[in-house]
Amino acid sequence: MHGRSHPRDLPRCTDVSAVVLPPFWSLVESHGDELLVHARRIAGDANGEDVLQDALLRALRAYPRLRHAEHLRAWLYRVTTTTALDHLRRRRREVLTDSPPEQVTQPEHYDDSFEVLIGDLPETAQSALRLRFVEDLDYDCIAHRLGTSTVAARQRVSTAIRTLRTQGTPA
Amino acid sequence: MTLPSHLLDAIASAAVREGLADAVYTRLRTPIGTLLIVQGEEGVVRVGFEEEPEDALLAQVAARLGPRIVASDRELTATRDVVSAYFEGEDETLDLPVDMSLVRSDFRRAALKTLRDEVHVGEVVTYGALATRIGHPKAARAVGSACATNPVPIIVPCHRVLPGSGGVGSYGGGPERKRQLLAHEGATVQG
Repeated sequence: MHGRSHPRDLPRCTDVSAVVLPPFWSLVESHGDELLVHARRIAGDANGEDVLQDALLRALRAYPRLRHAEHLRAWLYRVTTTTALDHLRRRRREVLTDSPPEQVTQPEHYDDSFEVLIGDLPETAQSALRLRFVEDLDYDCIAHRLGTSTVAARQRVSTAIRTLRTQGTPA
Repeated sequence: MTLPSHLLDAIASAAVREGLADAVYTRLRTPIGTLLIVQGEEGVVRVGFEEEPEDALLAQVAARLGPRIVASDRELTATRDVVSAYFEGEDETLDLPVDMSLVRSDFRRAALKTLRDEVHVGEVVTYGALATRIGHPKAARAVGSACATNPVPIIVPCHRVLPGSGGVGSYGGGPERKRQLLAHEGATVQG
């Protein structure tokens, strides 16, 4: 399920202001290095730069259509995560080339590919990842939604990412 | 901390190649300080002097051409070469496409276009004479505003427009830069 809306009781997490998007490169200059670290953490050191390039081009494609200029850093994290996970998924497929093809090819849909990837994780891990990367929430908001501490929320997200990464790595 | 330059270059070039960039900018060191040059699809849209805040300048371009603005020296190599050739005295024509979309009125656009087309290196013109050339002989002051708000200084040569009363007059980049540019071009200033 995508397109779920934010609950009304969390204005701090859902504020939307008029769309004045900063020049894209200022985002790359402010957040590029941490996004590269993030891409490497999910896709592996050797693939980090390719994944980040791919992710920033995806982000650039979507940028003029954004409906708000809030949480742009979190949005870039989400795009980078999805791109890195797609990369892992492709690699996993390559490993499985000897097995018969899947009946239905998954359409290259952004959110579907995210759901497919996290589909094998425990529900608690899935919801943590969705709150972080689909809803763009920061860890305080995620903690509030999960009813945990901020530290625990952060841990849940990072454990889930680690699990995905292990799944995506050929044994 | 920013990303390694080879990665930034690769991303910016891919963005331009795929038609995803509304504008590209580069910083160029020159004898009058580092210039920020911003180019859109139609041509150079903005030139900034180093004391102009870069964020505000790029935001101004973004509001007009779109927010997909990337930095790349490589993608603007041709433009950089033309501007460098001007400052090195190899070729002072500054023959570059210019995008006047940041100019706010037709009058100002006409004044700047005439200036660029007709007042060449080594020449100067008074505000009044430029006003006469565009068919508004009484509009010297309005021509002054057109020059003061010129988004593409140097390439659109508002430094060649002088007050009728003598001296270099004012300049967006400061009178000292105006004097430097005129001296570089070998133009004679009265008074």
